[in-house]
Amino acid sequence: MSTGDQLQIAIRRGSGRVILELEGELDMASSGRLREALDGACLNGSRTVVLDLRGVSFLDSTGLKAIFGVRNAVCAAGAEFAVTPGSAQVRRLLSLTRLDEHLHTIATPDSALA
Amino acid sequence: MTVAGGSRADPPAAPDPAGTEASVERGARAAALLVESGAVLAGALDFAITLSQVARLTVPDLADLCVIDLQDQEGGISELAVAAAQPGLAEGLEALRKRHPLDPEGAHPVARVIRSGESELLAAMSEQQLRSFAQASEHSRFMVDSGYRSAVVAPLTARGRTLGALSTIRLADSEPYDEQDRELVCELARRAALALDNAQLFSDAQAMERRLEAVLENLAEAITVVEETGHTVFANQAALELLGIDSHEHLLQARPGEIMKRFVVLDESGRELDFEAMPARRLFRGEPAPPLLVRNIVRETGEERWLIVRASPIAGPASGRMEYVVNVFENVTEVKRAQLAEAFMAQASRVLSSSLDYAETLRRVARLAANQLADWCALDVLDERGELERVAVHHNDPGKLALAELLGRSYRPTLVDAMGVSDVIRTGEARIFNDVSDEDLETYASDAEHLRLLREVGARDVIIVPLLAPARMLGALTLVSSHGGRRLTEADLGVAVRLGRRAGTAVESARLYTVRSRIARVLQRALLPDSLPELPGFQIAASYRPAGELNEVGGDFYDVFPCGGDEWMLVIGDVCGKGAEAASVTALARHTLRTAAMLDARPAAMLELLHRTLRQQEPEGEMCTVCLVRVRAGGARAELTIALAGHPRPLLVGPGEQALALGRPGTLLGMVDPISVEETAHQLGPGQTLLLFTDGVAEASRAQPGLSVERLGARLHDVALQDMLEQIETVAVQCAGGQPHDDIALLGLRLSRIAAVSLESNEL
Repeated sequence: MSTGDQLQIAIRRGSGRVILELEGELDMASSGRLREALDGACLNGSRTVVLDLRGVSFLDSTGLKAIFGVRNAVCAAGAEFAVTPGSAQVRRLLSLTRLDEHLHTIATPDSALA
Repeated sequence: MTVAGGSRADPPAAPDPAGTEASVERGARAAALLVESGAVLAGALDFAITLSQVARLTVPDLADLCVIDLQDQEGGISELAVAAAQPGLAEGLEALRKRHPLDPEGAHPVARVIRSGESELLAAMSEQQLRSFAQASEHSRFMVDSGYRSAVVAPLTARGRTLGALSTIRLADSEPYDEQDRELVCELARRAALALDNAQLFSDAQAMERRLEAVLENLAEAITVVEETGHTVFANQAALELLGIDSHEHLLQARPGEIMKRFVVLDESGRELDFEAMPARRLFRGEPAPPLLVRNIVRETGEERWLIVRASPIAGPASGRMEYVVNVFENVTEVKRAQLAEAFMAQASRVLSSSLDYAETLRRVARLAANQLADWCALDVLDERGELERVAVHHNDPGKLALAELLGRSYRPTLVDAMGVSDVIRTGEARIFNDVSDEDLETYASDAEHLRLLREVGARDVIIVPLLAPARMLGALTLVSSHGGRRLTEADLGVAVRLGRRAGTAVESARLYTVRSRIARVLQRALLPDSLPELPGFQIAASYRPAGELNEVGGDFYDVFPCGGDEWMLVIGDVCGKGAEAASVTALARHTLRTAAMLDARPAAMLELLHRTLRQQEPEGEMCTVCLVRVRAGGARAELTIALAGHPRPLLVGPGEQALALGRPGTLLGMVDPISVEETAHQLGPGQTLLLFTDGVAEASRAQPGLSVERLGARLHDVALQDMLEQIETVAVQCAGGQPHDDIALLGLRLSRIAAVSLESNEL
């Protein structure tokens, strides 16, 4: 069993934007930590939160649930939410589930939100 | 028919100058005859009576003797109507024809005309001619003695078919027939034939109607036919039983909407529906009327049923306008109850596992149980000293909650009670008490105040079940419904027993955390069908391997069930998460899809319904992926309708072909609104296999493209289906280094090479 050690989360800030950089596997074992990271990130004043998934090597349905949990919390706080999909596996899962249609995706975490 | 009964055409008012007067009068008589015959023919639909009247009309003006003969189904000729002016003549002819029926192949003019379909004018018949027509010497003598002189024989022709012949005969002293008479007789025959044809169609239709009625009467589904006024014009026996009505007459005489007043009719979300919301009423208003699922409660008895109401219009044959609507009521109570029970258990499981503070957990269970099953609920638990403690009470009516709480505090059940809670705890057996009477309350109450409280809170039906941990009795759960509320049934008892076990397990889990895993494994067994049904002409197989350690339960599921006629539904899906919670959602998904198929077996509609169900779950956030395939058997190839929701596309593999992924991606269920799901149509040919699988298989494939499910499927296309699935599973496990992240489930359907449904195809 994986223990969740395989996910690293770094938080970067700048010009009203909070970027959560994920590295490793986002699955059942690790998805709880994403939510903790968001709660700890303190969104005060941030207009935009970006989830940078370029470092995510594996994503499953519990990971998707965690991403949407973050999205709902960010939107409830009145900020904008975007993701940077990254790997082929992540993009494949997002398009297989058609959840990409419900997410704002940008090429890099610093790209402008159209 | 051109003429309505009653009116008569007037003869021309001013006759022409002398000489033509006779012909004018003759024309007037002819017109009058046609009018009269029109009236007669339009009148009745009993053709025997009708044609006798026509024959009589021709006598004496047009004929001294008139005979109408019909060809019967075996090709013979039988006389149907005879009329004569001279007394005894008609009777004589009838008796003669009985003794000597006309030979259809013979020389008699009636036989000739029926054969040729052409009329004959025999202006003047000689004795020699008459003899040549006769069937017997007696027949010949009759014609000669009666003085047969002149005759017209016209065919009775309708829709290109000759049904018989109309003969008019004039005797000795009468004027012989001429061409004009022939035309008149032909016209009369044409009209008579038309009436005869209509009458036969009518009697065929009546026979058909009687057969249909017999069929409808014997159907298990309740069927009614209503007209726009709302009156019921037909109901079969099953409908009478469903509506609780003793006779057809009673129903047919009921005022529109009157029957419905006997029931509380609710939609799925519990909103009351009125008469105008019923599908039949919607059709009459020109609105679309999809099948409607209703919860129907008999006011008098409190009995509850779930019905699917389908309505289809019937247009009148002439107007093309909608005249009637046929209602079909399908009783789906059992299936719906199973679905609701699973939905309830899924919620209960999540509520129970959401907190390790079991006192709080039990309060939530009491609220959930009261809300969904009864009016109020109480939980009593044995403490360390072995005494009962009321740990939770919930009443749906906030005004009565305090009362219910007071009852629990002041009159705590003790183990010395001979009945109720203590009895259930002692014996471990669940109990249901229906129709609790005031006398029962008096017996049970320990004093006047107790009785007053019991009466005020109200109790009509009571269920008490043990709160049971795997090896220990923990307490009891009590459900009570008051008067005017929903009745508690044996089915509810079953749900309550399960709830008692789940709640008991949750309590025990708080102390013995590992017990959960054992329960989880027990649950898992309930997730998959015991065995797959047999689909004639197909092979079908499945394999399932849960991921991870022994104490994990997967969220993968599959199912196969019939959905009417030659159609079957294949289901495979994956619920997000693992363990007991995922397992309860898995059961919910399976049952919801089965109910959905009964309501509307279009895969896209079924996915939509499951999505709504998941969105309604509390606490929210349950999601799953599903692939549905509706299979229509029958012809040389099976027709497939596929819809996907966030699930990997199924593969089509066959001899000499590359694997082909079918279907279009659709949105994962339960996460976001709105979802987009699409149906696509495909075919499965003889020897081809459809492979459905979950993401665990796809994931393993991606690790080693050379061993992908696509390549394996194509390579193993002629291996026995069960072996094919097991080999794919084995490879997937190996690809994941023997420790797959995810469950691995596979479902395969192969159309036998002998595609037609036959005995040979069953030996597989």
